Amino acid sequence: MKKLKSIQTFTITITILFITMCILGHNALAQVQIVTSTPDFSAIAKDIGGDKVEVVSLAKGYQDPHFVDAKPIFVTKLNQADLIIYNGLELESGWLPLLITGARNSDILAGNATGHFDVSLSIKNKLEVHSAPVDRSMGDIHPGGNPHFMLDPRNGIPVARGIAARLIQIDPDNAKFYEENFDNFISTLKLKISEWEAELAQFEGTEVVTYHKLWIYFTTWAGFKEVGTIEPKPGIPPTPSHIASLIKRMQSLDVQLIISANYYPRKTPEIIAQKTGATSLILPTMVNGQEGINTYSQLFDALVGEITSALKNKGN
Amino acid sequence: MNSSRNFLILIIFTLLFSAPFVSLARADESNDVKKELQELKQMMKQMQNRIEDLEDRNKVLEQQAKEKEKPAKEETIVVEEQEVVESQETDLTVIEQPAQGNQNFLTKTLNYFNPQVSVVGIFSAAYYSENNPIVFAENDPENTGVNLQEIEVGFQAAVDSYFRFDLFLSFSTEGVELEEAYATTLLTLPLNSQFRIGRARAKFGRINQMHRDAQNFVTLPLPAAQFLGEHLNPTSIEANFLVPVPWYLELSASGGSPDVETPTFDRDNDANDIGRLLYIFHIANFFELSESLGVSLGGSFATGSNGTASGERSNLYGIDLFAKYRPLRDNPYQELMFQSEFMYLDAQTPEETLENWGWYSQLVYRFAKRWNSGFRFGIIDTNTPVQEEAEGGEEEASIFTAIRNEEGEEEGMLGLLGRTYRISPMLTFNPTEFSRIRVQYDYLNQDFAENQHAIFLQFQYAIGAHGAHPF
Repeated sequence: MKKLKSIQTFTITITILFITMCILGHNALAQVQIVTSTPDFSAIAKDIGGDKVEVVSLAKGYQDPHFVDAKPIFVTKLNQADLIIYNGLELESGWLPLLITGARNSDILAGNATGHFDVSLSIKNKLEVHSAPVDRSMGDIHPGGNPHFMLDPRNGIPVARGIAARLIQIDPDNAKFYEENFDNFISTLKLKISEWEAELAQFEGTEVVTYHKLWIYFTTWAGFKEVGTIEPKPGIPPTPSHIASLIKRMQSLDVQLIISANYYPRKTPEIIAQKTGATSLILPTMVNGQEGINTYSQLFDALVGEITSALKNKGN
Repeated sequence: MNSSRNFLILIIFTLLFSAPFVSLARADESNDVKKELQELKQMMKQMQNRIEDLEDRNKVLEQQAKEKEKPAKEETIVVEEQEVVESQETDLTVIEQPAQGNQNFLTKTLNYFNPQVSVVGIFSAAYYSENNPIVFAENDPENTGVNLQEIEVGFQAAVDSYFRFDLFLSFSTEGVELEEAYATTLLTLPLNSQFRIGRARAKFGRINQMHRDAQNFVTLPLPAAQFLGEHLNPTSIEANFLVPVPWYLELSASGGSPDVETPTFDRDNDANDIGRLLYIFHIANFFELSESLGVSLGGSFATGSNGTASGERSNLYGIDLFAKYRPLRDNPYQELMFQSEFMYLDAQTPEETLENWGWYSQLVYRFAKRWNSGFRFGIIDTNTPVQEEAEGGEEEASIFTAIRNEEGEEEGMLGLLGRTYRISPMLTFNPTEFSRIRVQYDYLNQDFAENQHAIFLQFQYAIGAHGAHPF
């Protein structure tokens, strides 16, 4: 009998909780709820949505976006979302699919183009697209292309366009507001891009070594030439022999710059810099990756600023 | 191309023939017309030249493309790898040149609609100090030697916009088992509910929801092996409710048939009584205490008939705790994970009511991106078995019977008596996300048998789709 009673109390508790859920559940939220995988997208979404949207980024700006913990609390955020914005090209394949499945939210499923924004689909200048057969002996390869396209500021434009178009569909009452913000964002970004390009122009053809194949979009845009990576293959930590050959190569080419993301090990780039005389820069790769970077433009202000000042110092 | 050229020529001829008549009427204009005609002719010539130029270029490009394709098709993967290595050493931008048009429409379509396939193989070299070692879970290494622990084949895909389907087959030396095959609802439903229909690892505690390849130790924790078996995976209908509270709170309830071998639950002979199916309830909480620290706390309850006689039930209670500390800002690749579960079983049998309990705690420290170390303590306290071991457990049965005989107990009763605890330190190296090498030592202390030592060297390989990792 005792056991029966315990079962009864259990059932009653559950029923009470259901009723609470009915009362609390899915209350109509005035703002458009946007969840993004990385802070780059949330920064752009904030610029376009202004106070009409509430934006949450699941990954932190100083975190390696390949390896994010699929915390259950993210499910509750996705459950309430009107729009999910993510990078695609398998960048988040280790953590995001589970969360979207658990979110029980039709609005953000892959079949729903309005609420589900795979940014990579709107990027035209994808690099490192492998259409020839690939396998994992080549390292952690993304067959559809290198996923770090947000490090080319020109790719902010299609992202902004995609976000604006979706916000107008989700919240047509504020369509004009979104259009204006989009126009402002684009014109500011375009202006900024020409400024950055002017600053970088004098360093065209600079040879750089990077830690991970993360900077290819940035270096392509900046007109730099990537001549080596500290990782022997994507995702594989450096080995002493690889570093030795990289140092030799850098010395023979007289490479002056090493760039690495601020979530990768910092010792190896420093050691290589000491041996070769190159400058090692540890840089943020996303918005919020460093104090003071709160918008997409500020990210490139920081990147272009640090890189050009380092190269100027070298030139002197 | 020819027809348009002919057409142009026709127009020009008509213009030419009409010109003298026009010139009769207006001599001034005829000059203009002549000029225009000449311009037209020149344009035509230019266009023709251009077309010829383009055609030539096209031919060259086609030839180049053919030349490129030939070796790629004929030579083996080995050559491709070499090419990749060579080009990486010389110029990093070379490999990534997209070779266009390699995939035809058919292969693309096939790839799109095929489910994601993944295969995981787990093998263990083991050394046991005893000749007939006591092994608790089905997929633990069986004996001294090299053991196939499990080959798991997974197929996963969205069915449509309403459901997804996940299928996992488990191959071991004992045969093939349908480990999981269930549909999950994807759409928004009232009360934030989500249903899972089919055979699935039940939401009971934490370790029961983790596939072998996601677990942190070579052997299954003692209480899980004792009370749930290798895994508790009844075929059932499961409802999960996400409660809108500031933290994560999920309530689950499932009802179904324990149509697979489990140590605790079995079908009742009186199969028509709905009350005698297996019902499992679970409450899961997750608290994000800071961006670096997350804690999940859960409670589970399972009740169902145990098959000892009609109407006899087993009730299994569980508490699970998991905490993960990962300092994102300072050391993003270091983690400290604590996991603990307590289980309590009361089982009615025709003779008596049994009260067994078990508990384990484990601490795993990921001290570098690819390295894990860990320590686990597990204990179970059992007085008598719930049910007889089915086929496959004969070897173990004989040992237990022998133990029983020594202790002067009645013959024919199976299972462990008294208290058993196990201490397991381990060290893991993950060369990549897809491969793993693990060393583990197990010290097993039992009330009614020799203490047992074991050393394992486990190898794990995963191919196919990149699976997502649950928290």
